[in-house]
Amino acid sequence: MQEEVSQIYYLSEVAVTVEFGQQIAENLLTAVNNLNLLLYERPFPGFKTTVPAYATLTVFYDPILVIKSNLSGTGSFEKVSGYLNDLKLQSNTTKAVKGDVVTIPVCYDLDFGPDLTEVASVHQMSTAEVIKLHSAGAYKIYMMGFMPGFAYLGGMDVQLITPRKATPRKSVPAGAVGIAGQQTGIYPLETPGGWQIIGQTPLRLFDVNRDQPSLLKAGDTVIFKPIDVYTFNELAAG
Amino acid sequence: MQIRILKPGLLSTIQDMGRYQYLSQAVPVCGAMDTLSARIANKAIGNEDNAAVIEFTYADAEFISETDLLIAYAGDGAILKSGEQELPCDRPLFIPSGTFIKLTNNPSGCRTYLAIAGGWDVPEILGSRSTFLIAGFGGMDGRVIKKGDTLKNGTLASVSTQKIFESLNYGKVNYPEWSIPRQLLLPADRRAIRVVPANEFDWFNGRSTADFLSTPYIIGHQSNRMGYHLEGAVLHRVKHHELLSTAVTPGTIQVTGNGSLVLLMADCQTTGGYPRIAQVAAVDLPLCGQLKPGDALNFKEIGPREAEMLYIEREQHLQQLTTAVQTKYL
Repeated sequence: MQEEVSQIYYLSEVAVTVEFGQQIAENLLTAVNNLNLLLYERPFPGFKTTVPAYATLTVFYDPILVIKSNLSGTGSFEKVSGYLNDLKLQSNTTKAVKGDVVTIPVCYDLDFGPDLTEVASVHQMSTAEVIKLHSAGAYKIYMMGFMPGFAYLGGMDVQLITPRKATPRKSVPAGAVGIAGQQTGIYPLETPGGWQIIGQTPLRLFDVNRDQPSLLKAGDTVIFKPIDVYTFNELAAG
Repeated sequence: MQIRILKPGLLSTIQDMGRYQYLSQAVPVCGAMDTLSARIANKAIGNEDNAAVIEFTYADAEFISETDLLIAYAGDGAILKSGEQELPCDRPLFIPSGTFIKLTNNPSGCRTYLAIAGGWDVPEILGSRSTFLIAGFGGMDGRVIKKGDTLKNGTLASVSTQKIFESLNYGKVNYPEWSIPRQLLLPADRRAIRVVPANEFDWFNGRSTADFLSTPYIIGHQSNRMGYHLEGAVLHRVKHHELLSTAVTPGTIQVTGNGSLVLLMADCQTTGGYPRIAQVAAVDLPLCGQLKPGDALNFKEIGPREAEMLYIEREQHLQQLTTAVQTKYL
């Protein structure tokens, strides 16, 4: 980790960003998640919340409370970045915290995966091969973003890399599983979208009535498990 | 207290000071676009700043009071009238049951905030009452306010709120002489928006950063609660590598692939991958909430320390206003 260029920069009056590097890499994900966990264990006065991303941890706070605190430095940026710098030195940057493994049942039936045949024909393989490759992977969640409950997944088989649809759909259902370039992901909410849709999960990725509304979080691993239409309907009915 | 919506207007939603607890699950902040006006409307009737308000966009909305009301409004999107009687903003208003109130055109801005004693009674979802339309939660079942909706107030009104209500309750439209001097909180030039250079500021060439800080930008028509497209000088990069997606926040100014600017507002995504040229000072973000398509603005550079001093000064000033209202009704 020492060789990475790391810095802490100002985002706004109420937030600073700790940057660990500038690429997508598991060691950076580990560094971000470990600092995040440590910060929640040892919050500073005025700490509010964090946003982990690929190689950054952004920390939100109440500047009034930070300034009143006895953290050293002038102004909230100096006080918070000083604290985070110290915390970073104490944070284990190599040992990955084991995230949860979340199995997502996916129905790859053509009714749920309208672009399955297009993806298959792009790669000159059968739809069964697409399903097999897609459901064989273990996908690391690098970050959450874009919309509530959406996970950026890493580790899709390069044989499945497929460009986005030329014309985005006006509406993609919640739970749709898609491919866009080298990414695969699940739409948590119904929305317009340009991803190649190859299946759908009956699980709710985001539900405000749950204690943790998002099913997924950064650091978890996602596994897709193929299911038939009958099982989909059973699960969807709850 | 209760009102019924007769005409909802262009875009009316319930908002508060926003939702910060679930940013890590990509839940956006939401909340009032002009937080300053929303807070002033609440302060005028002794509410907490975070009490739920109605955010009206432009005028052309109407409602009727179905009970006696204690309300206040602030912002520049509309002027409230009862018949031909203009109701003053930034102060408490006693409205008797059965009064028709309409929002009439105010050319100086875009959004108006209506507060009621104790705040509008909608459930708290993920720590906030703000409406997030895209995901359909918060506020009135996650949707815009519609014709025929009835909205009630929360029952936990503060002691000041109760005293303000009693002091004005004489069975007719009534309000005090005093108002909260909102204008004193605003800079003389409301189109000069102060910004702090962002982390990728030096990814752009000198000519571009000079243009950014000296030439006017126009709010584009593709603008909404998520963000504003800004039309003006295009910015050119000297560093061309990709930015890895990272946290952004309302007030962040991103530069898209073709060099044009997007100012992120209340409903913006929690992360973004475009380089950021600047961050609007928190004290000036409420001004942006009043800008409408076609309005021109200029950006003026300040440092992060100055932005923080302005923030603290603003918060102290607002705290004094709360105390001043409470002191009037001891």
